[in-house]
Amino acid sequence: MREEIPPGTLDMLILKTVSWRKELHGFEIAESIRATSGDVFVVEEGSLYPALQRLLVRGWVVGEWGRTPDNRRARYYHVTALGKRQLERSLESYNRVTRAIADILDPSPSRV
Amino acid sequence: MLGRLWRRLKLLVGLDRATRDLEEEMRLHCELRAEQLRAQGIANPDAQARRQFGNATRIAEESRDTWLWPSLDALRQDARVTVRGLRRSPAFTAGVMVTFALGVGANAAMFSLIDRMMLRPPALMRDPANVHRAYMYRSMDGVETGTGGQYARNADIARWTSASFSAVAMHATQELAVGVGQDAREMRIGVVSANFFGFFDAPPAAGRYFDAAEDGPPSGAPVAVLSHATWQSQYGGRQDAIGSTVQIGAVVYTIIGVAAEGFVGLWPLRPPAAFIPVSTYAASSLGPKWQTTYGSSFGLGSIARRKPGVSVDAASADLSRALVQSYRAEGRSDASLAELRPRALAASVLLERGPDASEVARVATWLGGVAIIVLLIACANVASLLLARALSKRREVAVRLALGVSRTRLLTQLLTESMVLAVAGSLLGVLVAAWMSATMSAAFLPGVERFSVAGDPRTLAFIGIITVVVGAFTGGLPLLQTRRFALTDDLKAGARAGTYRQSRTRSALLILQGALSLVLLVGAGLFVRSLRNVRDVRLGFDADSVLVVALKMRDVKLDSAQNLELRLRLVAAARTVPGVMHASLQMQAPFGGMTSWPIAVAGIDSVRKLGQFEFNGVSPDYFATMGTRILRGRPFESSDLGGARRVLVISEAMGKVLWPGEDPLEKCVRIGIPPDTAPCRYVVGIAEDIHARSFGPQTRNFYYYLPAAQWHQQREGGLFVRAAGGTHGSIEPLRRRLQEEMPGTSYVTVSRLGALVENQSRSWVMGATVFTAFGALALVLAAVGLYSVIAYNVAQRRQELAVRVALGAAMGDVMRLVVGEGLRFAVTGAAVGGAIAIVAAPRIAPLLFNQSPRDPVVFGAVTGALLVVAVLASIVPAIRGARVDPNAALRAD
Repeated sequence: MREEIPPGTLDMLILKTVSWRKELHGFEIAESIRATSGDVFVVEEGSLYPALQRLLVRGWVVGEWGRTPDNRRARYYHVTALGKRQLERSLESYNRVTRAIADILDPSPSRV
Repeated sequence: MLGRLWRRLKLLVGLDRATRDLEEEMRLHCELRAEQLRAQGIANPDAQARRQFGNATRIAEESRDTWLWPSLDALRQDARVTVRGLRRSPAFTAGVMVTFALGVGANAAMFSLIDRMMLRPPALMRDPANVHRAYMYRSMDGVETGTGGQYARNADIARWTSASFSAVAMHATQELAVGVGQDAREMRIGVVSANFFGFFDAPPAAGRYFDAAEDGPPSGAPVAVLSHATWQSQYGGRQDAIGSTVQIGAVVYTIIGVAAEGFVGLWPLRPPAAFIPVSTYAASSLGPKWQTTYGSSFGLGSIARRKPGVSVDAASADLSRALVQSYRAEGRSDASLAELRPRALAASVLLERGPDASEVARVATWLGGVAIIVLLIACANVASLLLARALSKRREVAVRLALGVSRTRLLTQLLTESMVLAVAGSLLGVLVAAWMSATMSAAFLPGVERFSVAGDPRTLAFIGIITVVVGAFTGGLPLLQTRRFALTDDLKAGARAGTYRQSRTRSALLILQGALSLVLLVGAGLFVRSLRNVRDVRLGFDADSVLVVALKMRDVKLDSAQNLELRLRLVAAARTVPGVMHASLQMQAPFGGMTSWPIAVAGIDSVRKLGQFEFNGVSPDYFATMGTRILRGRPFESSDLGGARRVLVISEAMGKVLWPGEDPLEKCVRIGIPPDTAPCRYVVGIAEDIHARSFGPQTRNFYYYLPAAQWHQQREGGLFVRAAGGTHGSIEPLRRRLQEEMPGTSYVTVSRLGALVENQSRSWVMGATVFTAFGALALVLAAVGLYSVIAYNVAQRRQELAVRVALGAAMGDVMRLVVGEGLRFAVTGAAVGGAIAIVAAPRIAPLLFNQSPRDPVVFGAVTGALLVVAVLASIVPAIRGARVDPNAALRAD
């Protein structure tokens, strides 16, 4: 079952994916998100590349041209310190939101 | 934040590289995806990968949008595309640029003129909104006239309005001779009170301004402040100018300072060369009792700074109260005050915004409106051309939309085109404006310092604003049209297949152009006829053949007899100059101010109530010199001397008003103060009426003449000289010859009487020329607009016309069809314009002269001209349409 990536979370997912794997190029990012999500999320190219450009401009990632294992030129992205901080911030707020949603969906009697 | 900006800038600077990077990255992605699919054993993996990837162009564009100022990047691209496109059609580009340049240039030139006359606050003035000019009025025989040019009056006003004003300063300008001997030149001098400088944020560039102690009793100090421009041009900006002396008028002044750079007082159009204390000037020209002389005016005025919290009305009321008090101080009785009804007003510090605005300023305001109409026509023209372009690009546009170019991008591109054209046109317009304003100021503001257009920030800002407005307007109209593009229809059909549709927007624009042109041409016609009426007025003298000689006495003081003797010597000298036919004494020149004395006539209680009787003191040759006809009786003779029988010559109208139905010859007129006891003077001649104040009918102004030898007051006055064959060549020889007779450092000036008259008719000359020029411009623009629309329509209808020709339509039929279309536009436009002109006409009536604003001759002629031009504009495309080769046209496309 495929699902839409929840709006507003794409930047966070990319940052998390890149910081976890240290450095990735565009195709690998898309594949990694797909694989890690167990084929639930498929990042469309139409969203991925504009998002990467956005992250570049904001200074959350930097891109460097390198070689793939089969010796093709590819732009590899790293997360910057600024990007890590941004990731922490968005994870925090994401966690708050999911906790809140979970609480609403399943109110535990102890907290009432 | 700053880092982000920096990264964006870096991306934008290396725009091409960044774009290449992005493309390469996406290509790799596509390849890797294809390999993956191939490994999964999917057929045709490359195509599949591409399909999955989606519209690469769009993704690239959207990615690049994040590089900020997405619009800026797009703009760069659009500008490049636009410039390339425009270069491909140079005729179109040049046409649009010239159209814009003329429209923008005309507006900028009018703006810079109007701005300088009526909008721009005096340079360097502090808080000009709270500074007012004081205007004073009083009534004589029920007719209210302006007054208040006297020192004593302004001093009273300043003294007694401290409740409303924090400061009141006096100001005047005088044309005074500066320097001595051959170097003496007449210059404009600012005559101001010490606190005048305090109204400005203008610390002296060198030295200091004069202070209150130097501008007061007993006679003011002989100190002067140079203008910065004079300091630079005459003294080379040297410090030792301070402390040196200069003769200005009759007084030798010590220069104590230099005004701030750019300080021009209240006179930006003709800045004074120097500033002198008002009390010094008043004492030197009015004599020892200058402080209490209420009778002598030298054009003095006051400016006043209103206190916070005091309303303009309250300030005006306070001024009026002070004026009444001043008349009491002068010794006027309550009865006299009841008749005088003194009244004062605090108005804008800008002269042309106040009650004394000149005709030229009023006409200029109208012409500003006219310039806007010209710009509107120009815009309509360009919009129509751009629209035609947009329509002819329908298929291209549809293709690009299908390829995934966003609609907004497409629209911005259209807007960019009009903006690029507007900017280019405006740059050219600056040149047009500079030329036009130089021409206009030379023609309508003689003696005014040349003012720059290109170097003036206000005018440039104005040009900038209209450029944006014009670009948005002309680009916006085709945009509205583009919004309606139906993708599939356009892809399929393009502009083919008999889809001849008239664009409604274009038709409306065309009718608007025709209508506005007609309105302008009607205005032009009305002004041209007014000017002709002005020129046709018999003034009662030949202004064009007469020179005015004025005497400028400096250190020499002459009594009445000496003055007369000197002037008679000058008359004799003038007669020896080649080309001089007649020379005469005079005391006043027409349109230069006249003198009135109380007169009494037997049988009339108060002659004063009948109107104003003004006279000139002249010598026997006067009537021959001026070309004023003697209708009955005789002119003066050389025997009409001091001891002889006292005589006078009156104007025809004066005879009719004083002795209705009787023969005025040999009647007695008494002139003097009081008139009843003055000796009788006998009417010996009746001269034709003259215009000495305005061109219009003068029902209350009457003129008469006395022999100068029989008049005791001869302090003022000069000569009239009649020269054969044009006056210009005689000015300098005459001046040189007369100068030899002048005592001491006194001198004469010679000018054309015609110039005084031209001053009066300037507003009509200006209206007629500029209206005609703008009207012609509008007509040309409208003709070009009509031509382009008709030509475009003919091109669109090629197939239809070809079918008609193939079916046997004669050339005449096709031409009638096409020209008829053009005429229909013109007739509709003329009807709309005529209606506008008829409704608006009464508003312009006050500026016309003996001219009905709804003159059928003007309306008829102008409509005719418009229709003829419409036929001419559509005849060329009509011929082209009629010559369509059916064979070629039907096979094309």
